[in-house]
Amino acid sequence: MKKTVLLPLLAAAIPLLAGGCASRAHYIQTGGRESIVSVNSINIQDFIQAADSATSDLLASGRLDKVANPPAVIAISRIVNNTGQQIDTDLLVKKIRVALLNSGKAQTTTTMGVGGTAEDPMAKGLQQEAEFKADQQTTRTPDFTLSGKIIQTVAHDGNTSQSTFSFQLSLTDTRNGLAVWEGEKEITKQGGRSSIGF
Amino acid sequence: MISDQRVVTDVSLSKKVSFVGINQSMTPGGLLKVQIELLNQKHSLQRFSYRFEWFDANGMQINNVAAPTIPDQIEGGESKFISAVAPSPECKDFRVKFIED
Repeated sequence: MKKTVLLPLLAAAIPLLAGGCASRAHYIQTGGRESIVSVNSINIQDFIQAADSATSDLLASGRLDKVANPPAVIAISRIVNNTGQQIDTDLLVKKIRVALLNSGKAQTTTTMGVGGTAEDPMAKGLQQEAEFKADQQTTRTPDFTLSGKIIQTVAHDGNTSQSTFSFQLSLTDTRNGLAVWEGEKEITKQGGRSSIGF
Repeated sequence: MISDQRVVTDVSLSKKVSFVGINQSMTPGGLLKVQIELLNQKHSLQRFSYRFEWFDANGMQINNVAAPTIPDQIEGGESKFISAVAPSPECKDFRVKFIED
């Protein structure tokens, strides 16, 4: 009798217990120590670290101070993704742009882009209208362009998988096409290889 | 081991990794640059994370959007340097927080 009552009760209770043991959704600090680390993909903390490294290196180099009319104007050129995942390179570039703007050392143009496409088409249109009315060019030619590449290198050893993400950036002087600053940040992650998948 | 209130660490890490020296200078562009020397007093690898915070002349923290928590490691008996550059010329002071992983 007791067994006939207890067993169905236990069966009904198991899902409730399992649900209670599951990790409840909660907020964590973006890019902090609690962040998930994925071996085969770039995590947000990786973008933050790479952007900080590039920004610090660029600011310390003093290259942005050597312009005729500070702050320097930078146009964002091609950032190539050579990793195995689809990423929006703005996750890296935007952080660099914000940091450079806040430093007072550089500004980014949003009306010039690769292939003539503007990040802000409305601003570009208004700028062109202003130039037409003034009958002169008001656009400041960028002092530099920022370009780069993100590369993933993978290695395996038994059940251990390792990925190195190389964030490569170049700052080019638009007057002569020469790179006046180059930076590279490598982030390597290692972990157990998944038994399913690549 | 130096004692500097600008270097904050947890008790566990402080027993293994000591802070030997702090140097600071200015970059040509007027940015504060900080260098800290660490020494692993143990024979084994120690993993830790650190994060720099920057303050202006009035002691107000300057929000640095890209400020990361940087994971790092130091081999047994190794001495190494970590460094950081302030995000803007307004930064006149700093604090660095270390925590054991």
